[in-house]
Amino acid sequence: MIRAENVTKIFTGRGVTVRAVDGVSTKVDKGEVVCIIGPSGSGKSTFIRCVNGLEKFTEGHVFIDGVDIADRKTNINKIRAEVGMVFQQFNLFPHKTVLENLTLAQRRVRKRNKKDAQEKARALLLKVGIGEKESEYPSRLSGGQQQRVAIARALAMDPKVMLFDEPTSALDPEMVGEVLDVMKTLAREGMTMMVVTHEMGFAREVADRVLFMDEGKVVEEGTPEHFFIEPREDRTKLFLKQVL
Amino acid sequence: MIATDKVWPWKLLLAVILIVTAAGIYGSVSRIDYEWRWYRVPQYFLYKAEDVIKTPFDGVVKNVSVSGSEAVVDLVSLDGEQQQLIVDGETVKVDAGEDLFEGDTIGFVYEWNMGPLLTGLWTTMWISAVSSVFGLLIGLIAGLMKISKNYTVRTLAAIYVEVIRGTPLLVQIFIAYFFFGTVFNLDRNVAGIGALALFAGAYVAEIIRAGIQSIAKGQMEAARSLGMSMPQAMIDVILPQAFKRILPPLSGQFISLIKDSSLVSVIAITDLTKSGREIITSTFATFEIWLVVAAMYLIVTSILSQFVFYLERRYRVSD
Repeated sequence: MIRAENVTKIFTGRGVTVRAVDGVSTKVDKGEVVCIIGPSGSGKSTFIRCVNGLEKFTEGHVFIDGVDIADRKTNINKIRAEVGMVFQQFNLFPHKTVLENLTLAQRRVRKRNKKDAQEKARALLLKVGIGEKESEYPSRLSGGQQQRVAIARALAMDPKVMLFDEPTSALDPEMVGEVLDVMKTLAREGMTMMVVTHEMGFAREVADRVLFMDEGKVVEEGTPEHFFIEPREDRTKLFLKQVL
Repeated sequence: MIATDKVWPWKLLLAVILIVTAAGIYGSVSRIDYEWRWYRVPQYFLYKAEDVIKTPFDGVVKNVSVSGSEAVVDLVSLDGEQQQLIVDGETVKVDAGEDLFEGDTIGFVYEWNMGPLLTGLWTTMWISAVSSVFGLLIGLIAGLMKISKNYTVRTLAAIYVEVIRGTPLLVQIFIAYFFFGTVFNLDRNVAGIGALALFAGAYVAEIIRAGIQSIAKGQMEAARSLGMSMPQAMIDVILPQAFKRILPPLSGQFISLIKDSSLVSVIAITDLTKSGREIITSTFATFEIWLVVAAMYLIVTSILSQFVFYLERRYRVSD
């Protein structure tokens, strides 16, 4: 479903070059849930943003369903419609109601009519447990509710893959659970997911595979059992000791 | 010190300051022996035009019937040709059966006409309105060009903004009329509106650029991540939010434009300012006319700022 080959992102500025992502290769199969963990500044967010082309990478290739997004001939908008993304800061459209947040891209990109888009939106709002808030503006919702709306907004496009970029990092602790629950449900339903997270519990419970990144590189990769119980690399051991 | 949130002492102070200022102005003016002629002003808003109705041929008055304020006069010429004329009831100069020669006065009609102050105001308003629309369009395009990733596009917009903001509007109007107007054979109204629109556009461009850049980057990313194209994201996500934020500076710019439009009077467009000057040359009521003209500008700009205030409140619902 997703195949990344030697993805490298170099930031240059004021004479300093930083290899934020340094030759990352991995793949995510259909229905698989992959969690990316690692210390801050390890390039995991930059990497996941490369997967849907929000970040233009310097070298390498990302194939989504076999289509190379680095290819100039690829219509990136068409790819992105198939790849949902959820951000740390929710990024809901503040001038639109919850329902309009969910219908906008459906109508503009998927060209659905108003009625179908609203039906789809309402069904998804019920699924994420905020059916009664459809005519509120995002600023009236709690962080957890906003993030659930953001997930519903991405799902409304019927994506084949969902990318999550630290979806719970900006939330108050008591709201983390409600968002993780929605994500667990999605995983159970067979959604292909790539999740950058600091929630070790979630990674352990839901992930099929865990990627540990540090300094732009994938240091270790494996099943949660292997990863959390008997990691090989010293850096992984050190990190796990710090966070667990 | 005890903190107080009583307002009335401050209101009182304000009233005192205003009264003292007014009294000061009144005192200074009364020392310079100026004869105020306020009664001459109203006729320049509205006046009653008098039109003489004359007999078109030699003939006889067949009948005169007065109904209300109107008088209907039926005439028959020597050749039997009939004609009906309508004049003001109190001004009929003829009776039934009277013989008339061509050119004899039958009576008068009166009509209310807009005086130069109102026609000037109208000119000022439509010129400002048309310039605002074009200014907004030009500003939107230039503002978007300024944030373009393309060097040429970006620099072209920057040059435009710099040139316009670095030269006086008065000079721009002269150039628009005497240079471009001559070269391209432009009407004075086109030259005037063009100069005002280009002038406003440069300032609007900066306002729009700043507004767009003030919207969090995540908004564009969220829209693009849903598969929306750059223009779609701009139109549906970024610009509506930016517009709400730039409404106050933008409306300030258009209010400025109404005031700046007074400069087009130098290329002989009869706007409110030019009308005022023309009236003064025939009445010498300098003080009265300029005060009235200022008040008229103030009324228009106040109405506009109230309208913007209303819009701001309406858009605040999503905050």
